[in-house]
Amino acid sequence: MAKGSKVSANIVMTIVIIWLLIPLAATIVYSLFEDWTGIIPKGFTLANYELIFSDSSFLTAMYQTVLICIVPIVITIILVLLALFVVTVYFPRLEKYMQILCMIPYTIQGVILSVSILVLYAKNGSILSDRMVMLIGAYCIIILPHIYNGIRNGMRAINMNMLLEAAEMLGDSKLKAFFKVIVPNIITGITVSSLLAVSLLFGDYVIIRNLSSTNVNNMQKFLYQAMKRSSTEASAVFVVIMLITCAITAIVLSLQSRSGAEKVSKQGE
Amino acid sequence: MSYIRFENINKSFGSNHVLKDINLEVEKGRLVTLLGPSGCGKSTLLRCLAGLEQVSDGHIYLDGQEITDIVPRKRGIGMVFQQYSLFPNKNVRDNVAYGLKLKKMPKAQIQQKVEEMLDIVGLSDKIDQYPSSLSGGQQQRVALARAMVTAPKVLLLDEPLSAIDALLRKNLQIEIRRIQQQLGITTIFVTHDQDEAMVMSDMIHLFHDGRIEQSGTPEQIYTSPATKFAATFIGNYNLLKTEDFNRIFRADLPGNDVAVRPEIVQLGRTDEKENPRELMAEGIIVNHIPHGSLIRYQVDCQGISLNADVVFEKQMEFHEGDHVFVRVDPDLVIRL
Repeated sequence: MAKGSKVSANIVMTIVIIWLLIPLAATIVYSLFEDWTGIIPKGFTLANYELIFSDSSFLTAMYQTVLICIVPIVITIILVLLALFVVTVYFPRLEKYMQILCMIPYTIQGVILSVSILVLYAKNGSILSDRMVMLIGAYCIIILPHIYNGIRNGMRAINMNMLLEAAEMLGDSKLKAFFKVIVPNIITGITVSSLLAVSLLFGDYVIIRNLSSTNVNNMQKFLYQAMKRSSTEASAVFVVIMLITCAITAIVLSLQSRSGAEKVSKQGE
Repeated sequence: MSYIRFENINKSFGSNHVLKDINLEVEKGRLVTLLGPSGCGKSTLLRCLAGLEQVSDGHIYLDGQEITDIVPRKRGIGMVFQQYSLFPNKNVRDNVAYGLKLKKMPKAQIQQKVEEMLDIVGLSDKIDQYPSSLSGGQQQRVALARAMVTAPKVLLLDEPLSAIDALLRKNLQIEIRRIQQQLGITTIFVTHDQDEAMVMSDMIHLFHDGRIEQSGTPEQIYTSPATKFAATFIGNYNLLKTEDFNRIFRADLPGNDVAVRPEIVQLGRTDEKENPRELMAEGIIVNHIPHGSLIRYQVDCQGISLNADVVFEKQMEFHEGDHVFVRVDPDLVIRL
C-alpha cells in the first residue's frame, strides 16, 4: 500500500473510532458527575453507582437478566445441535426446510411475537402460560437464526459425515462421536453465536415488557425506569450493562483462547 | 477357506444400479486391491463391507460369520479414508488411542499400544502434535496407525494416497505394504491407479461398471488382459482391430481385436528380423515422449497409430519423421 493511502486510511479509521467512542465516553462521564450543563462537567461523584447498587430491584434485574439470557441460549444450542445432527446424518434432504424454519424468526418483529404468544398461551392454563416460560420460549425463537447460523457454518467448515464415519469405524456410536468429535470442532461457531445472542437478549425491552408484565425485570426495564427518575442514574445503569456484557464476552473468549493455548503448549512440548 | 466372502452383492442408489452380482473371496493375510475408474463401484463395495452402506441384495461373510446386517462399530473392521479423517481437536496420541479407549482398555496398555503403533509408522516424535501441524503423508500414517492399533480383522484403505503428492505417494505405497506384511493384516485397498495396484497387491480385482471385469495377480492382470476394457485400463496397450493388425503386419490372426504391449513393439532402421517368426511393418515416427529410462515412440503405420516403449539409448534415438521398421513377436500379441 502506498504511504499516502496508508496515512489517509489511518485518519479515516481514527475518525470512525472517535465517532463511535464519543457517545460511550460521554455517557461514562455523565454518570460520574453531578452536573454537565457547561463544557466541563462539575462535581465528581459515585453517588449514582451507590444508588443503583443499593437498590435491591437493580440486583434482582441483573440476576434475572443473566438468567433469562443463559437459559434460552443453552436450550437453543442443545436443540439446534441435536436437530442438525439428525438432519445432517439421517435426513440430509430436510436440511433446506430446517434452514427456512430457522430463518423465519428474522422476519418476526418483537411486538408481533410477544402479542402472538400472549394470545396463544396466556389463558392456556398449562405450564406454557407461566410468564417466565413464555419469555424463555420467545427468547429461544428470537435467537434461533443466530445460533443456527453459527453452528451450521461451523459444521460446514469440517467434513462432519466423514469424521462420524471414522469414529464409527473405531467402535463409537454416531451420537457419542458427534459430541466428542464434532462439537469441540465447532465450539468457536457456538461461542460467537452465543455472544451475539447475549447482546440481543441484553438489549431486549419490547418482549419482556409485553410478556412478563411486572413478574420479571431485566436491565432494560430497570434502565427505562431509571430514565424516568434521573438521566445521570440512567447513564450509570447503562455503564453497568455495558460492563456486564463486556465481562461475559471476556470470560467466554478467555475460556476459548485458553483451550487454544493448551493445544499450542502441548504441541510445543 | 476364504476369510472374506461377498455373495451375489447388489447395490442400488435409487435407479442407479452400482454393484451387479458381485461374488468375491479374499484369503486371510492378503492385500487385495479393488481397481477401476471412478464410479465403477469399488468404493461402494468397500463401504458395504465396512457397514457404512447397506447392500440391496446379497450376503457378506467375515471369518465365517455373516456380517451383512451388523452395525459398523461391531464388525471389527478398520478403515482409512481418502481425506485423512483425523479428529482435528485431538492430538496424534488421542487420535490413535480413540478406538482403544472405547474398548475400555487400561491406560497403561493404551499408552504402550499407541507408542508401539506410532513406532511402526515412524511417527513417535509427533505423538503430541495436532493434525493441523502434520503433512498430508504424516496425517495418513496417523490414520493408518489409528485404524490398525485396535487389531481389526480387516483393514480397508479407500484411496488413501490419492491426495498425496507423487514422491511421497510412492514411499507410502511401499511403507503400507511393509506394515501390512509385518502385521499380517488382511487388507482391501481401493484405487484407480493401476501402477499403485501393481506395486502393492497380492491380488487385483478389476472393476468396470459395477462388475468384476477380471481377477488375478498383478502379473496375470498385466500380461493377460481378458477384455478390451482390461487392456485399456491396465498398462498402455495398443488396441487394434484384428483386420488392421493383419493388414499392416501382413499377418492372418483370427478374432476381432488384438492388444499389443508397447514394450514388445520393437523399432529398427533396417528390415532385419531377430527371429524369423517376427511380424514386420513399416512406419513413420510421429512423436516421442521421454518416460525416465524409457522413450515412448508413437509410430504411424499406414494410418494406424502404434506406441513403442524403447529403453533410452543415445545412438538408437529416433526423431519425428524418421522411417522405421516395426517388429512384433506374434506369440506375445493378445487376442481379445
